[in-house]
Amino acid sequence: MTLSSTGDSLVLVTSSHDPQLLKGVLSLLLLHLLAEQESYGYEVVQRLQGAGFTDVLEGTVYPALARLEREGRLASRLVASSSGPARKYYRLTDAGQQALAAGRAGWARHAAGVDAILSRPTTAAPQKGS
Amino acid sequence: MPHTVTRLDRLRIERLVWSLDQRLYDLPSRTRIAHRREVRANLLAAAAEVGTAEALRRLGGPRELAGQYLDAELGEGARHSWLAAALFALTTPLVLNFFLSEAANAYQQALTATATHPDGSYTWGGVTWLQSPLTFVLHEGQATHVGGAWTPLTYLILLGGAVACGRLWRALPRRRNHRPAPSATDSLAL
Repeated sequence: MTLSSTGDSLVLVTSSHDPQLLKGVLSLLLLHLLAEQESYGYEVVQRLQGAGFTDVLEGTVYPALARLEREGRLASRLVASSSGPARKYYRLTDAGQQALAAGRAGWARHAAGVDAILSRPTTAAPQKGS
Repeated sequence: MPHTVTRLDRLRIERLVWSLDQRLYDLPSRTRIAHRREVRANLLAAAAEVGTAEALRRLGGPRELAGQYLDAELGEGARHSWLAAALFALTTPLVLNFFLSEAANAYQQALTATATHPDGSYTWGGVTWLQSPLTFVLHEGQATHVGGAWTPLTYLILLGGAVACGRLWRALPRRRNHRPAPSATDSLAL
């Protein structure tokens, strides 16, 4: 998984995802996407898929949005739709903005730590009995 | 490519929404209804975009989705179930009354079947511990009875059973080992 940051925009390019890794950063991704633009559940999924997360399922994203709303990081409002029932649009609260800032810093710290280890040269594995 | 959502598609969506709704009864009704409406609106939007079959597939089964919603709202791990407690509290009295009534009827039939008992009052102690004594009045071969109410122990067993069935002690606020909900930063578990 490659993560690059250009100014305020987060670009993620992935070919396949470790579900555990994705679960760990899903909240951060959702906060960032909703900080960029107020969206409803399916639109968030589409934007995630557009960023390369094609294997993110709706069944994972909707409960994650519900959890963030329960934690006070998201607020929602119903907006009438011409093509069906009213849609629930999510936006960040002040607590959500703070969580996003903290999450960004945390991600940078983790990524730097992991990169520092992974960039070390490796030696050949010692032979058995030597 | 946009897809047309037919009536059959709507029925398939409603089936999933209903199935999900049935599994969310442990949530407050307002939350449950909000989730139901949101899933329906999102499914209709997805069905118009990628087709109903694909939209339903990507949402996953109602059981898994409900489990994730319950985890999101109530926290992960073992939790209480008001639904299970209510089910026990409602069905057990029906079953219990049926068996107590059958026992009383059996005693009454024993009094009237042989026609050898003289008219008068007969007292049966009832099912031990569970009910008060029953008094049968026999008059010209016909018997009626009064009594047989539940004892306090029966009510206590019902209450205890409902608590045990619904694991309601988990609904109590935790006094020890209380940890706040993980923040977005904390959840960066790598």
